[in-house]
Order: sequence, then structure tokens, then C-alpha cells
Amino acid sequence: MNEYETQVHGGVTVVRAPDRLDMVAAPKLKQLVDRTVQEGDGRVVVDLGGTSFVDSSGLGALIGGLKTARQAGGDLRIAAAGEQVTMVLRLTNLDRILKPHPGVEDAARGW
Amino acid sequence: MDTSAEAERLRALRDLAVLDAPPEDRFDRVVRLAQHVFDVPMVAVNLVDEDRVVPHAQVGLGSGDIPRSVAFCSTTVQGEGQLLVADAQVDQRFASNPLVQQDPHIRFYAGQPLRAAGQNVGTLCLLDSRPRDLTAEQSRMLRDLAQWVENELTLSQETVQAREVQRRLLPSRAPDVPGLDLAGRCVPARDVGGDFFDWQRVEGGLQVVVADVMGKGMTAAILAAGVRAVLRAGSLFHDLATSLERTATSMADDLDGAASFVTLFAGRLDPGSGDLEYVDAGHGLAVVLSPTGGARRLVSVGMPVGADPGESWPARTERLAPGEALLVVSDGVLDAFETAEEAVAEAERLARRGLRADQLVEAVLERTSHRLSPDDVTVVVVRREQD
Repeated sequence: MNEYETQVHGGVTVVRAPDRLDMVAAPKLKQLVDRTVQEGDGRVVVDLGGTSFVDSSGLGALIGGLKTARQAGGDLRIAAAGEQVTMVLRLTNLDRILKPHPGVEDAARGW
Repeated sequence: MDTSAEAERLRALRDLAVLDAPPEDRFDRVVRLAQHVFDVPMVAVNLVDEDRVVPHAQVGLGSGDIPRSVAFCSTTVQGEGQLLVADAQVDQRFASNPLVQQDPHIRFYAGQPLRAAGQNVGTLCLLDSRPRDLTAEQSRMLRDLAQWVENELTLSQETVQAREVQRRLLPSRAPDVPGLDLAGRCVPARDVGGDFFDWQRVEGGLQVVVADVMGKGMTAAILAAGVRAVLRAGSLFHDLATSLERTATSMADDLDGAASFVTLFAGRLDPGSGDLEYVDAGHGLAVVLSPTGGARRLVSVGMPVGADPGESWPARTERLAPGEALLVVSDGVLDAFETAEEAVAEAERLARRGLRADQLVEAVLERTSHRLSPDDVTVVVVRREQD
């Protein structure tokens, strides 16, 4: 799957994040999530399986996307976060609102 | 000359805030490189002001201004592309020019306009006292070098301003609090992140704050200024938890609009008893260090300010024994280590050396100096003196 490619799993849109979710990539991801929320019902899974690095801008895009989704009555979940991503989420306590799901299937279940 | 177009051009130039600025190595490097690559005696990055041409970087020309009426570069900025004069003596536009007739006896000129905000604000130009020409490849290379200069010119504008804002946010000196030894430093990244630290006297002692606004450049710097101001004002009248909550409420819309958030540590220390009250909004990088070894990481369970509107940050308590130090850093420091645990272990080792607060700050900065992180680095130490 290409970077940023989106797929629909039973009404839930899955957005695949790039290898480095940083200052350069964050605005693109945020735009994509915003558009996905507008076009769908607001249920978005961000697949971090291919993401080896996230910085504070990347976290900003995820939190921004989560807010957009919730305002539209939906939610944003993250899946398959790697070690660095998990560590950053834990350090900032953002794992309390962005709970890492082991895989896309788990994240897309039970909305 | 179209006066309104010229006014636009001058505004673009002034907005860069580079006119009559001190020489900068990053421009000197391009000029020296061009001199070598094109094998010409004279190269300049010239800024074309209203009635003068100002060399921002030059080699072989002298650093004085040139009246616009005689400058080749004045013609270049009024054109669309590269201006090439193979032999000025036989070019009727320039043959009678005093710079051709007299010293430095210019024969060859090649100037590439430098654009900023869509306007030709200056040139990168090559000059020689012998006639010559540029090959198509050399002409392309001059364009490439000019683009490099353009990047540097426009980067400086935002970066210089953001740096200035950030610099002004930082305390110029530590307050004198009997019983405490304080030091702090913030080393900004090239692109300027949103780090800042602050301290102020409040009821019950000294308040110290370390914060990191997500993002870079001017946006981050302005948000940092807002957080600092609101928190400072609130802290004079409220307890720590309330001050932070008010700050979060006040800044919520601004942070939402910029898709940003702030990790923040704030502590209030009673210098007499060593009692420390603190709140931590997703910062997680505060530790109490003992001079005899041992470190206690301060609990961080709260989310960053601006991440979730329902969040609150109840204050927690710690106590600094005489000789113990509170060390708070930004995540730029963490980048220098594999894990947070490793960073804490290193801090513990440093603390055992019995350093003063300023020495400990420098020692931590020293440990991060090898990293190639694009992040700001902030280090603050508050040490309770031995009785």
C-alpha cells in the first residue's frame, strides 16, 4: 500500500501514515483525515504500521484529526504503532486518548 | 519605471529585513563558491534598494553601496531573467557607464535576479574586467546558486523574527531566592521550536515552568508567548492547578486553530521547607536528583495542554532535601539518548559531581551537543542549597 492510501473496512476508513510522520508529512496526514471525516461518517483508523518515527508535529496531526473526527460525531483510532511512536505517546500521556490498537482489524472492530 | 510596481518591490525587500544587516557567513560562502566555480574576480549578492545597490555579500568589489543609476544590477531587477553582458565596452546600454570607463573597468557582467514574495529584490552577480561569456550549463548553475541564496534570504526573515520572539520570552537572569541555586538555558534549533522556560516569585515561593509548544517557527513562538503570559498572570492569584486550567481554557481556541498543543511542567518550591508542588501536562521530563546518587522521576499523568478540552491537572507534591536538585528538560534533550531511563541515569551521574546549578545545566547541554536534532533544547535546574 502506498503512503497515505486509504481503504474502507466495513464503514471505517483506514488511512496509512508514512514512514516518518514529521513536520513535512503531518499537514498532509491532517488534511487527509479531515477530508475522510467530511466524506465518511467520521470513523477513521490511522495505520501506523509503516511509521518508524513520529515527532511533535506528527502528534499534533493525530490529535488534530481526533478532534475533527469527534466533532463530526466519529472517532480516530490508531493501529500497529511501533516502539518509538508508542514511547512518545506514553511520555506525553496522549495514549489516554489515542489508545494504540495492535492491528487495523482490532481498531476497526466494535465502534 | 512603474512606481506602484517599484513600491511593491521595495516592500518585499524591506520585509526581508536584511538591508544593512551585518555580514553573514552563509551568504559569504555562496559568493566564494561562485568565484571559484565561474573563475571570476568579483561576485556579489546585491540588494537593490530605492536609490542604491547594497552588497549583502561580496568578494573583490568592496562593501560600499553603489548608486543605482550606475549599477548593472538595477537593470537586472527590472528584467525578468538573467542579464548577461559579454563585453560592456561594446554594449551600448553600458559602454559609457563609469564602472566600465573607470575602476573597476567592468567588461563582463552576469546577474541573476533574486526573488522574494514574487519580487526581484536583488541579484547574484558575476563580474570580470575581461570580456567573456557563460555556457548554457554555467548559466543554469548561476540560476541554481541564486535559488540557494533566495532560500537563505527568505528563511532568515521568519527565522530571525521567531528567534527574536523566543529570545524575549526567556528570563534574562534568575531571581535571587535565598536558599536556592537556579539556572536555566534554552538553545533554539535552526528553525526555532516552541520551547521556553520561566520563573517568577509567587506566594509560597518560587514558580518554575518549562514548556514545549508543538510546532516550529513564528506560530510556535507566538503560542509560546501566549501560554507564558496567561500562566504568569494567573499564577499571581491562583494555585498551580487552577493557574494551569485557566491557561488551558484561555489558549484552547488558539491551540486548536494551529493544530498545536503544549507539554508543560510547572512547580512551586518553598525554599525554606523544600516542599515542591507541581503539575505536569504531558511533559514527563522532570526529575529530582540527590547529590549522593539516586533520582526520583516526577509523576506525569496529565495530557498536554490543548489535547483534550476536558483535561485537568491536579497538583502533586514532592520534597527536595538540602542539596537535592530539580532538573527539568525539554524533549530535545531526550533525543540524545536511547531511552528516557538512560537519560535519567546520566543525570544521576552528573548530579553526584556536586555541581552548581549553572554547571549542571551546562553539563547536560554538553551531553546533547553531538545530536543532530532539529529540536530546541531547554534545561532548567533548581537546587536547594545545603543548610
